[in-house]
Amino acid sequence: MDWFIAGFLVQDGLTAAAVYALIAFSMVLIFSVTRVIFIGIGEFLSFAALSMAALQSGNVPATVLLLIGLGFITFMALLWQAFIGKNTRIREQLLIDAIKLIVVPVVFYFVLSFYAPMRGNVLIDITLILLLMLPFGGMIYRIFYQPIAEASVLILLIFSVAIHFSLLGLGLLMFGPEGVRTLLITDVNINLLGIPVTGQAIFIVILTLVLIAALWLFFTRSLTGKALQATAVNSRGAHLVGIGSHEAGRLAFTLGIVLAALCGVMISPIATIAYDTGFLIALKGFVAAIIGGLYSFPVSALGAILVGIVEVFSAFWASTYKEIIVFTLIIPVLLWQSLNGKHHH
Amino acid sequence: MIKKICKWALASAVIALAINVHASDSVKVGVILSTTGPAASLGIPERNTISLLPTTLGDRKVEYIMLDDETDPGVAGRNARRLIEQEKVDVIIGSTAVPTSIAAAEVAAENQTVTISLAPYIPTENQHPWTFPLPQTVAVMSESLFADMAKQGIKRLAYIGFSDNWGQAWLADIDRHLIKHGLELVATERYARSDRSVAGQILRVLGSRPDAVLIGASGTPGVLPMSTLRERGFKGVIYQTHGMANQDVLRLAGSSAEGMILPTGAVLVAELLPENHPSKRQATEFVKSYESRHGEGSRNNFAAYAYDAYLLLNDAVKRIDGSIKPGTPAFRNALRDKIENTHELAVSHGVVSWGVNQRSAFDARGAVLITVKDGNWALVE
Amino acid sequence: MKLRVFSSLPILPSFFLIIMVALPLLPVPGYWITLINYIGLYSLVALGLVLLTGIGGLTSFGQAAFVGIGAYTTAYFSTAMDVSPWFGLFIGLGLTLISALAIGMITLRMAGHFLPLATIAWGLSLYYLFGTLEVLGQYDGLLGLPAISFFGFELRSSEEIYYLIWLFVLLAVWSVNNLLNSRPGRAIRALRDGPEMAEAMGVNTQWKKVVIFLYAAALASVSGWLFAHMQRAVSPSPFNLVSGIEYLFMAVLGGILHVWGAVIGAAAFILSKELIQGIVPLVGIEVNIELIIFGMMIALVLIFARNGLWSLVEHFIPPNRKIEFNPDAAPLTKRIKPEVGSRVLTVNSIVKRFGGLVAVNGLSFHIDAGEVLGLIGPNGAGKSTTFNLVTGTLSATEGDIHFCGESLKGEHAREIVARGLGRTFQHVQLIPDMTVIENVALGAYLRGSFSAQGGVIASLFKLNKNEEDRALAEASRQLKRVGLEDEMYQEAGSLSLGKQRVVEIARALCSDPLLLLLDEPAAGLRHKEKEELADLVLQLKSEGMSLLLVEHDMDFVMNVTDRILVVEFGTPIATGTPSEIRENPKVIEAYLGGIE
Repeated sequence: MDWFIAGFLVQDGLTAAAVYALIAFSMVLIFSVTRVIFIGIGEFLSFAALSMAALQSGNVPATVLLLIGLGFITFMALLWQAFIGKNTRIREQLLIDAIKLIVVPVVFYFVLSFYAPMRGNVLIDITLILLLMLPFGGMIYRIFYQPIAEASVLILLIFSVAIHFSLLGLGLLMFGPEGVRTLLITDVNINLLGIPVTGQAIFIVILTLVLIAALWLFFTRSLTGKALQATAVNSRGAHLVGIGSHEAGRLAFTLGIVLAALCGVMISPIATIAYDTGFLIALKGFVAAIIGGLYSFPVSALGAILVGIVEVFSAFWASTYKEIIVFTLIIPVLLWQSLNGKHHH
Repeated sequence: MIKKICKWALASAVIALAINVHASDSVKVGVILSTTGPAASLGIPERNTISLLPTTLGDRKVEYIMLDDETDPGVAGRNARRLIEQEKVDVIIGSTAVPTSIAAAEVAAENQTVTISLAPYIPTENQHPWTFPLPQTVAVMSESLFADMAKQGIKRLAYIGFSDNWGQAWLADIDRHLIKHGLELVATERYARSDRSVAGQILRVLGSRPDAVLIGASGTPGVLPMSTLRERGFKGVIYQTHGMANQDVLRLAGSSAEGMILPTGAVLVAELLPENHPSKRQATEFVKSYESRHGEGSRNNFAAYAYDAYLLLNDAVKRIDGSIKPGTPAFRNALRDKIENTHELAVSHGVVSWGVNQRSAFDARGAVLITVKDGNWALVE
Repeated sequence: MKLRVFSSLPILPSFFLIIMVALPLLPVPGYWITLINYIGLYSLVALGLVLLTGIGGLTSFGQAAFVGIGAYTTAYFSTAMDVSPWFGLFIGLGLTLISALAIGMITLRMAGHFLPLATIAWGLSLYYLFGTLEVLGQYDGLLGLPAISFFGFELRSSEEIYYLIWLFVLLAVWSVNNLLNSRPGRAIRALRDGPEMAEAMGVNTQWKKVVIFLYAAALASVSGWLFAHMQRAVSPSPFNLVSGIEYLFMAVLGGILHVWGAVIGAAAFILSKELIQGIVPLVGIEVNIELIIFGMMIALVLIFARNGLWSLVEHFIPPNRKIEFNPDAAPLTKRIKPEVGSRVLTVNSIVKRFGGLVAVNGLSFHIDAGEVLGLIGPNGAGKSTTFNLVTGTLSATEGDIHFCGESLKGEHAREIVARGLGRTFQHVQLIPDMTVIENVALGAYLRGSFSAQGGVIASLFKLNKNEEDRALAEASRQLKRVGLEDEMYQEAGSLSLGKQRVVEIARALCSDPLLLLLDEPAAGLRHKEKEELADLVLQLKSEGMSLLLVEHDMDFVMNVTDRILVVEFGTPIATGTPSEIRENPKVIEAYLGGIE
């Protein structure tokens, strides 16, 4: 193995690691606020990539129909709570919710059908897709997770498996079985110490670093961030700050899904994404998140780097045994982390 | 208590009898396809074909009952039992992948029901007389591919394939060609259908300085090694398998597909076939009906396998004595005999013949070598 | 915990049994039998998860890999080696147990979320191993397996293998049920909620985890064996991670706290898939919506029946927690009690530091047989640390502790309880869904014979009748001794705090202690409850028991102790009889003054 090969593999592994790290962050974020291990996060990565591909081939992504459908169901659930459940607080907010859940998705549909045939700029595409993915978190939390928010971690996990099945089925229904690639943000290629690196890869790594910084600022500086973290530690404390645990849950899901969507649109120019690819990326992100004990952002990032690097190098050394190597190597890491990290809990 | 049990038993018996009664005028065809799970990209076109098929088989009415096996052999076996024991089908078409086909065929053979598998494999002794895997075996397809390598003077061949049955079947087939064509296998790499990157494997392949690379993959996941090879400046020939012959591959691969060579059934290039090609008519008819429903360029080998299974059955049912009623063991036996006696039947992929000891339906006429020229399929001269 | 459906409701299970036996003989469509066979296969694996995850609290996604080991082993031996499938079963079980033991020894030490991820990791590794090993046919797998033959009769059709599958399922349900209602079983039921307490009762919790891991793996392996010979072919895909997740899914869906939850969960899983397959063609065959509907259905079930489908069934079954045992069973062997006045416990200038913090600083005291010593002091005085040092939960930085003349240095909590030191907990540690008598019987954990009678294997096959009778009779005697015989069959969690503390004392008494250590027994009790507790302590003293009372409540201690030791900041400030302590100016200043 010479310098070129090693360097090339490292840059490939780091690009992957950046994506795994972002997925790990969204998992840690969602878990620490709601105790939900949301494995459906991977499907949203796929949805974002596939929606972007649809948009770039001049079609309205089916995801917007899903949004309209989910918005409608959520609103029906609210109506039920407001009138059958006689919840006056919800009743007062019904008009705002109607706009948020019914009007906005429909308007979005028209915006997209107007925009899609025009073939605009990649950055506009990305912005639109992220906006499209923004409302999902709140809706998913509201319809599905709010009613069983108090269940045990195991039951929440199995519940997430059920949601994952449905999302996977929806992905196949909306986008078909074949994979897509989207347009590059930049086709610049850089030669870094003799290693060719794509501009897209550099973009992904820089974006991840920026997001790490942003998340850090959000959690340590902003009031909402602090409140979210307070919910993670103690939901009563968060109540005192003025954020209900359900509001925090919705916020965590929204942030988590937008992060996953960002991963999707970032990686789809350099990796083929199909409806079921997201789950496998999420699995790697999950590994990284657990290496971080499902609470530590920096350790999760280290875990992501570990997974990304081990993966590319084992693919190089013995591709037939790649998965066996990757997953067997995880076990000692977990053991070491578990025995060292006990007092943290 | 005993009275209760008796009542319950009686009630269930009545229900059971009611279910067991079935009409026997029309032929019942069970279809098991992998329309979800890893083989979904193969199973979905097959499913699309089934819904286009005529309402008759031979001169008889036909009823198709379709089940998804999730690309899971356990589910495929269960589906086969459901079709045979509950629906009392006369024949099963399916499944899409090899492991699921094996599971379904095992059950069908045990219950003396014919299976026409849409995945290429060699049936076991136990399944043999009842199982007819339709697609061209890898051996049939690879013949022309390796002949082309010899023609192009290729000496060093590298292989990268799926870590699944498909990748394994092609890798296993390479051996017998090596000596015959004076080839050397310089690298063997595997990757998973869902892998994000194959950078490690491709660096390894390039390090072995091959003249040509054979990619044992199917559908859009087969594009990744090809595009990575081209990105890394590989100038040699790229060979793909017939699993790659679909429009999505062209769309996704873009310019990296240019010049790739792969074998396929005749159906993919129906228009380009010479008028005297035995499959010209069947291939053109199928392409017309499939594409009028699913769009220009939507044709693919898998959809056509399902169509050929229909043609095969249609031909066999036609030859069954009219007095033998569907839904009876006699009908199933007759059907088996007639399929086994199929001789030179032109279908969309090529020409099908079967015999007592013959285990592959197609001969060399079932394989056409194609390439991509200016973003479109073209015949290799 | 409601684990006794067989005994509480003899009608329902026997009805169930009759139907199960008669089913294939009735004119039932063959396909129903096939489905029921699959339910049986999945139940076996899910049942392992009920034991492992539901009861033991160890989440595993890797069970499918053990199913794979069972299936592949028999496939290899019955095709390549041409031996009987029955031989394959035993080799498969052997291989499964060896691999589970190796995996368990390494990974079961992990805490929190690390363990579930580790199960994913080894599950995936094994799955990919099946796909890459040439002897196992790689991704093609192995074909042409023979049918299982039973005394020369080949089990080929669904109806024939049905009996074998369900024989195994019923055996498995029966054996798991037996295990849970036995001496090792009560320890297993404490793994999830009270591992520290279980250790203090003498349970090697690490080994118990390995035991349930092994049994769950063995059940999965048997399921794989049956699957292989039913399917007559094996390939890697049924043993992947998704299947591993699905097994857990079934167990949770059915109710992961109950043995029948496994069967109901497997049935619901398969039948709902069948049901959806029946409905979907009516909608149109050109789309795949099965998976979407399936996911939604399960989500709805979990929203409305969070604890699984069994919880709905349980609703209709009157609770009956009565446990049958012979109250006149031969009593358990007792320790020889030390003579009154001889030294039981000597604590010699112990020091405990946590980093820079000194929690206990040179404390010495002793207890003689038949004496009640009170250890008091304000919050943070080092009382609990001292208690933990004596009981072996913590180890001292300096100094030594002798019990009946022997040093306890380096001894684990398990070994200390074996020497005759019984204890209670500051925060009550009972298993809330276990009956009072079962909780108390856990105290007699170390007083059983292990291998022949009360071991895991004997318990699985209910060869432990005599053993159980003696343990439960002892527990009922101790309950009578503390005056709780009327609450014997109630769930421990339903009692008041005062009674729960008394149950803890009974549990400690069940270990036949020479010295009883009570950790803040009066904390949180109402006045009346305190009085009753004081009476109990005096009663025990009058029976000759030696006691160490670590307490916060001054009045309580004054009334029941012979001597009192007052500590502050980890150092002793006074010692003497209750009346001496009451007048000690240092104590009044440091402790009493602080409160009043």
